[in-house]
Formats: sequence, C-alpha cells, structure tokens
Amino acid sequence: MYLALKEMARSKVRFGLLVAAIALLVFLILFQQSLQNGLITGFIGAIRNQNSPVLVYSVDGQRVIQGSVLTPDLEAAARGVDGVGEVGRIGQGTFTALPTAERLGGASETFDTSVIGYDLGEDGRGLGSPTSLSAGRYPAADNEAVASSSDQASGFDLGDTIRILPGDEVITIVGLADDAQLNVTPTLFASYTTYEAAVASANPDARGLLPNVLAMAPAEGTTPEQLVANVNAASPDLDALTRADAEANTPGVSQVRQSFQLIFLLYGLVVPCVTGLFFLIVTFQKANTLTLLRAVGAPSSRLVGSLLAQVALILGSGIALGALLYYPISQQRLGGIQLRFETSAAIFWAVLLLVLGVGSALLAARRVLAIDPIEATTGAGVGR
Amino acid sequence: MKLALREMRRRPSRFVTATVILSLIAALLMLLGGLLDGLIRSSTGALRAQQAQAIVYSSTSQASLVRSRVDPDVRQAIEQIDGVTAVGGLGSAQLGARVPGNGPRDLADVALFGYELAPDGVPDPPADGQAYADEILKADGVTEGMTIQLGPARTPVEIVGFVKDTAYNGQGSLWASAATWRSVLLANRPDAQLADGVFQALIVQGDADIAGRIDEATGGATESLTVTEAVNAIPGVKEQQSTFNQIIGVTIVIALVVIALFFALLTVERSGMYGVLKALGARSGTLFGGVVVQAVVVTAIASVLAAALMVLLDALIPPGSIPLQITPVRIVLSAVLLLVAAIAGCLFSLRRVLRVDPASAIGTTV
Amino acid sequence: MNALELTDVRKVYTMGDDSEVVALDRASLTIGSDEIVALVGPSGSGKTTLCSIAGGILRATEGRVVVADEDISAYSEKELTRFRQRMVGFVFQSVNLVPFLTARENLLVVDELGQRRGKAAQQRADELLEELGLADRAKNLPSQLSGGQRQRVAIGRALMNDPKLVLFDEPTSALDTKLGEQVMDLIRTEMKRRGTAAIVVTHDERILHYCDRSVHITDGVLAA
Repeated sequence: MYLALKEMARSKVRFGLLVAAIALLVFLILFQQSLQNGLITGFIGAIRNQNSPVLVYSVDGQRVIQGSVLTPDLEAAARGVDGVGEVGRIGQGTFTALPTAERLGGASETFDTSVIGYDLGEDGRGLGSPTSLSAGRYPAADNEAVASSSDQASGFDLGDTIRILPGDEVITIVGLADDAQLNVTPTLFASYTTYEAAVASANPDARGLLPNVLAMAPAEGTTPEQLVANVNAASPDLDALTRADAEANTPGVSQVRQSFQLIFLLYGLVVPCVTGLFFLIVTFQKANTLTLLRAVGAPSSRLVGSLLAQVALILGSGIALGALLYYPISQQRLGGIQLRFETSAAIFWAVLLLVLGVGSALLAARRVLAIDPIEATTGAGVGR
Repeated sequence: MKLALREMRRRPSRFVTATVILSLIAALLMLLGGLLDGLIRSSTGALRAQQAQAIVYSSTSQASLVRSRVDPDVRQAIEQIDGVTAVGGLGSAQLGARVPGNGPRDLADVALFGYELAPDGVPDPPADGQAYADEILKADGVTEGMTIQLGPARTPVEIVGFVKDTAYNGQGSLWASAATWRSVLLANRPDAQLADGVFQALIVQGDADIAGRIDEATGGATESLTVTEAVNAIPGVKEQQSTFNQIIGVTIVIALVVIALFFALLTVERSGMYGVLKALGARSGTLFGGVVVQAVVVTAIASVLAAALMVLLDALIPPGSIPLQITPVRIVLSAVLLLVAAIAGCLFSLRRVLRVDPASAIGTTV
Repeated sequence: MNALELTDVRKVYTMGDDSEVVALDRASLTIGSDEIVALVGPSGSGKTTLCSIAGGILRATEGRVVVADEDISAYSEKELTRFRQRMVGFVFQSVNLVPFLTARENLLVVDELGQRRGKAAQQRADELLEELGLADRAKNLPSQLSGGQRQRVAIGRALMNDPKLVLFDEPTSALDTKLGEQVMDLIRTEMKRRGTAAIVVTHDERILHYCDRSVHITDGVLAA
C-alpha cells in the first residue's frame, strides 16, 4: 500500500489524467441518465401522475392527446362498454400564456403552456386530475388550476394568475403538483369548461369543441386491462390504453429511449475499453518494477494487492469526482427539463466501472506475474 | 515521420487498443451528430423549404403554427408594403392518415399543409382534393396515385407526387391547396378551423430586410421571422441542439484525454529511445512530430472505421424508427474535431519529449 | 588536424539546494586524427561527462572544446544537434538500437534524422553492413540478432555519417570476455582503416591494449 501511494505521488500527471478521464466518463454517463429521465418525465409526467387508470384516445390521435378527437358517436360507444365505472372528459391544448404575477415586475415573457381540462367532480379530484399535490389545493371552480411545480419560478406559483393569449381568459393557480408537465411545457390542470373557454379565447373561429380523450376508471371487479380490451373491441376507431401504456406509447418517448439506449450501448463499449486500456498500460509500465520486486523476493500476492489498491483508489477518486461534478448539474433545470440525481444509476455505473477496471488490471497483472523473475537480471522484461 | 509510421507498421498491436477506443468514440460522435441532424431535419423540413424573406405569425403565437392566426386585413396591410413582391398563406394540420392496405389501427402521422406560394422543391398547389406527399411517407406504404383518408372524418386526399425533405415535427408532410386544408380542418378539427381568408402564417417574398418593416406596418399584430429564425423557433429545436452539442463537446474532451494519456504513456516508455535518437542528432521537433503523426494516423483510421460503422448502421436501421441522418458533412466534421482533439492531446507529451536529455543515452544501462 | 582538443574544460552542476558539484575540473586532452584513446575511471569519476562534452551532447561550463578544427564551445543546442549529426558517432552502453527497425534501417535512421542523402546513405549502409559481416542480417530486427551482432550494428550506425570522432560508452560491458575481445578487435580495425579517432570509455583493464593510449580520470581530474 505504501509503495502504491508513493508511486502515485511521484507521477501525478499520469494518474491525474487517468482520474480525470474516468471522472469525465462517469459525469457524462450520469448526466445523460438524468437527461433521459428528465426528458421523459417532462414529456409525459402529466399522464403518469394523473389519477385515471385508463385513457381512451381516438385511433386518429396517434396517441397524442391533442391530436385525438372523440366524436359524439365514439364517445357514446366508449361510455357504453361493459366494466366502465367512472368516465370523465379530458381536453388539452397548448396556448401562449402570460404569467401576470406582480412580483415578476410586469411579466413581459410569455410561455407555451399546456392546459388540461377535466371534469372537476365534487372535490376537484375528478378523473384526469393530478394524483397528488405538493402544495395548495385542487381546483374548486372554473378558472382555477393546479400547475406543474417545476415552473413555479416562471410565474406559475400558488396564487399567481395566468392570462391565455390572445383574449382575456385568466386562470388562477391554487395548487402545485410535482412532475406534472406535458410536452416539457408549464402545465395547468383546470376544469373542462375552463379549457373550452381558453380555446374559444385563442381562436374565435373554433366551433364544436370535442373532448380529446376520455378518462376512465373500471367498475368494481374489472381490471384496467379488461376495460381497455372492452373499449377497443367496441370500435376500431377507439384506442384505449392503460396509464402506463399511454405514457410509454406517447410519440417521442420510445424514440428518446431508443436514442439514449444506443448512446448507452456505445458507452458500454467505450468505458470498458478505456478503463481496460489504461490499467493494462499502467500495469505494463510497472512490469519492470514488478519483475524486479519479484526477483528480490516480494510475494506476488503483495504486489497484486498493491496494484489493486492503486486501481481501486484511482477508480474510486474518478467516480467520486465524476459524481461530484454531476451533483450540481443534476440539481439544475435544462431548458424546461428538471434533472435529478439518479442514485441507482450512479451506483450501477460505479460498480460496473470498478469491476471492469479491477478486472482489466488483474488480467494485466497475471501476465506480468507470469514473467520469470530471472529476467529482471537480464533486463528483458515485458516493458521493452 | 518515417520512423513513426514504420513503428506503427511493425508494431501495430501497440496501437490497436487506442484505435479501437477512438473508433468507438468517433462512432459515438458521429452517432450523436447524426441523431441531432436527423431530429432537426425531420422536425424542420417544412419551414426550411420555404422560399421566403419572412414568415409572419400573429404576435401572441410564440411562432407556433397551430396557435397563430393572421387575418385578411393584416395580409392586405403587408401586401402594400414597399419591397414586398409576393404574399402567400400557409396553414397546417397534424392528423392521422389511413393508408389503403394498412390495418385499421395502423395510421400514418401526417402534417397537412395548405399553401399558396410553392416551397423549394414543391410544385404549385395541386387541384383541390389532391396533395404532394413527403417521400418519408413511402415508409408507411403511401404511393403515387393512391387516395388516403385524413382524420376521423376520413377526408379523402389523392397523392399526386412526392417531394423531399419537407417533414415537420417528425411527421411526413402533405402539400395541398389552401381550400383542401380548410376543408380538412373543418371536417376533422372544428376546434382549430379558421374563417375564410384567415391563415396560420404568411409567407412573404421581397427585400431581404423585410421582416422588421412588416411588424411595424401591422402595428405589432404580427411577429415576422426569417426562415432560419422560424426554424429555430420550432419548439425543441434549440434545446435539442444545445443539449446534443454539449454532449458532443464532452465526448471530444474524452477523446482528447484518451489520446493524451495514451501518447503520454508511450512517450514515457520511449524516453530511453528518444535519448539515443537525440544523441544521434534528432531534433525534439522531429520526435514530437512523430508522436503527432502517429496520433493523426490513429485518429484517421478510427474515423474511417467509425464512418464505415455509421454507413452500415444507417443501412441496417429501418427507416422511420430512429431519426438518424448520416451525412458526409457530419462525418467529416466529427473527424476534423477528433483530429484537433488528437493533436491537442499530443501536446501533453510535448514537454516530456523536450525534456529528454540526449546525455541520458550515455552512462546509463537502460 | 586533431580530432579533439579540450582546453581547461570545466563542468559544474548546480544541485537542487544550490550547492555545486564539479564533474570535470580543468580537463585538457588532445586526441590525434586517428588515435584510439581509452578513458578509464571508476563510476562517478566524470568520464561520462567528458565523453558527453566531447561529443557535443553537453556544453562545458568553462573552457574550449574543438572537434576536428571546429570550435563548439559556444554552440547553441540547435548548433550542437547539427554538429552531432555531421561530426560524431556514438556507440552506447546497452546497444540501444531502435527495436522495431531492421539492422539496415537502424543505420539509415542517422541519415533520416540528419542529412537525408537518400540513395547515397543506402549505399553506405549496405557497404558498412558488408564490412561488419552483417550483410545477411540486414533485414533482421534487433531481437533476432545476437549480442555481438547488435553491437556491430551499433558500430555501423556510429560510422554512418563518416564521423571525425567516435565515442564508445563501455562497448563491452554487456558481452562476455571472448565476444568483448572480438568487438574491440573490430573497433580497432574499423577505426584504423578509416583513420577515425575514438574515445573508448571503460573500466575493463583487459581491453586497454586495443587502444593507442589510456587516460585515467578520478573525481573529474584527468591523468595521463
């Protein structure tokens, strides 16, 4: 151990570069994990964290809420199937919204904002409402809304009012919900009538507004899956999905997943190669010393132990440094995407890197130790 | 130089690991770049194709087509501005399309555009009820002469030809007359219908600096953007670019560190030999030049391997699954960035090469 | 013309703690144009320093260094590098051939690093290999050669630039007695045939008789 530390202190640049490379890799991988999860949560958080177990789209909507339109025939067909417990309408639109909180000093900046309209029910917790709130209360009347909490600072905080442009429709925020964004924009959950009013305000030409999707809960004794099958059997133009399926099948989500998987796969190839190469080279660099030490009678277990101590120390510092770099970044918002510290991903990659690094160093050490100590005297070690 | 190349030829095994790692990094770079290009391309084509000095949205629309509505009186005001030569309306509708021969639930994503001024590569508007289709819709089974049905109302549209690189929001575009677009909206999205003469945006041709004067003339009712600005204003485009470019940047730094480390270690290993060569009259510059040559060769080989891998990947990925676009420009750009990183990485070894003392060759046994 | 004239040459190293170590103290030495001189001394005596100064690798702190009528005392690093390319040959202690180059290429390295005479250099390399009895080994890598053969390649390399002075640093230390004598015999023959001067650094008394005379050095001070 003493030997290992001494050596590292002597060649700071070499080991420094190693640690830096590993730290960068760790940082990059973790950052992209956060980015992937943040991106997906931003895309479909409002679907994941709403309380309706089944969502019914029209096939035409291609599983985009805003693209889906349920004609009265389709709505009736869906409502009529077996096993339906509760049904509510959901309307969703993207609007230009102007936060008007006075603390923003006049609030000149406008935001793309999703408004999700649902049937409030008696307590404001009708189907389609956020599963839980992080602050405030559920809407009790028209023109009240729960907002996605990640947009608090932009003028979507409790008590703030939002104006839908163009027009005079004003919505007051009475509650906040975590991870409740849709399409990575500020999202407001309000009554269905508020949504209708917002559409009319933005486009006076709009006529015959129809719900985008139906929120459904199965009757007692029916599972969500059974309800989905019943609805889909009722009409080839209905597209019922469980909450989890609606989330996973939203266009873009699987593309994001696939793209990131491809990137992670490449990292999976690069990381072992880089760490492997580094420790292979480091071990071979030390071949002469190792051979010499063997010749003077150092037991091979001691030498390997010291090598592994070094490897573990380098990897450990690299991983720790990478995680340290990652921590402040993981607390940030990146263009509307809320990043988080992905603990499980951090542990997974740390263990993987440790195993790969130690493994490659062991492999190299085995080759070194296979050398006859006699070669130390002739100077024909591996390193030449 | 000759010495450096000869070493690589005689001892290729020493350079294999570094080449493999760099190939993977190069592939990663090209993949990231290709994904970015593909994403941007498939979400911006319809606007990039516009032949316009300005694209005019209503001022509160955040440059989003679906939210924008420009009234006829605004259009008249714009037509009277000096330097405006032509004004055309543009409208969009994103819908599911039923393609004959596909299953009842297997719809194609389309973006129907109603237009008056032809974008680049698109002919003048076809007769009502007809449309030109973006060729990416071929992957959904769309063929010329076919009639597809749009939206829940199953509005029929006949495909009369194909156009290139006009996708919007990742969807294949259909290019039809303004009347066709209006009737499709009325039948399928009454909530989004617009009165006659009202368009989502206007395509304005004329003087290069016309955009600013339009917004003045309309009294702030409009937001006029150049094509490039309009493309960048499409939600997500800028975010995607900056995120991907950051990742690409860090990946290049990793490449730099790998090269730096690899050649720093090689240089340490070679310091004895460098001492001898210096004593024999080699200049430090020549020796360091050899290191750079080797780094450049390793990087060049890695880039070629990665490019080959990308071409292969491009051929293997079914069209429409991952928006990957492999272009020579991106491949060359990635290779050049890697070369710069490689040369910069070598600089870490420069000091060590300079420091090797020719006197070390004498009186030592190493 | 003398091959080497050292006049009152001093070499002083400044150590980390600002103390000074005198490696060579007022050394004066003249070597005739075809003379072979053995430089004998214990390790740390300054023989390596003297050799390095004579060969233009190190600059003297004081004194005059003239090699084949060329005064190199005030040369810059660059000038010294060019001087080494033209005027001196080196044979180092542990051979030090470039491991991935063949015997012939190891000779040509000198030309590639220096004058770049191309064809002429190739011809010379072939001649030298022939003379040194290595013609059939020209395409072998150092690892495929015996210790004696490697030493001969190193001698060939030292002679490539037609030097006025060749410096041998313990040329026989890695060889057994018999081989050592063969190599010294070869050195003497080759030097005498060309009329080239040489300094042979050694602590092996047995090879002294291959040299014209020997110079002893102790603690940086020369004694004939």
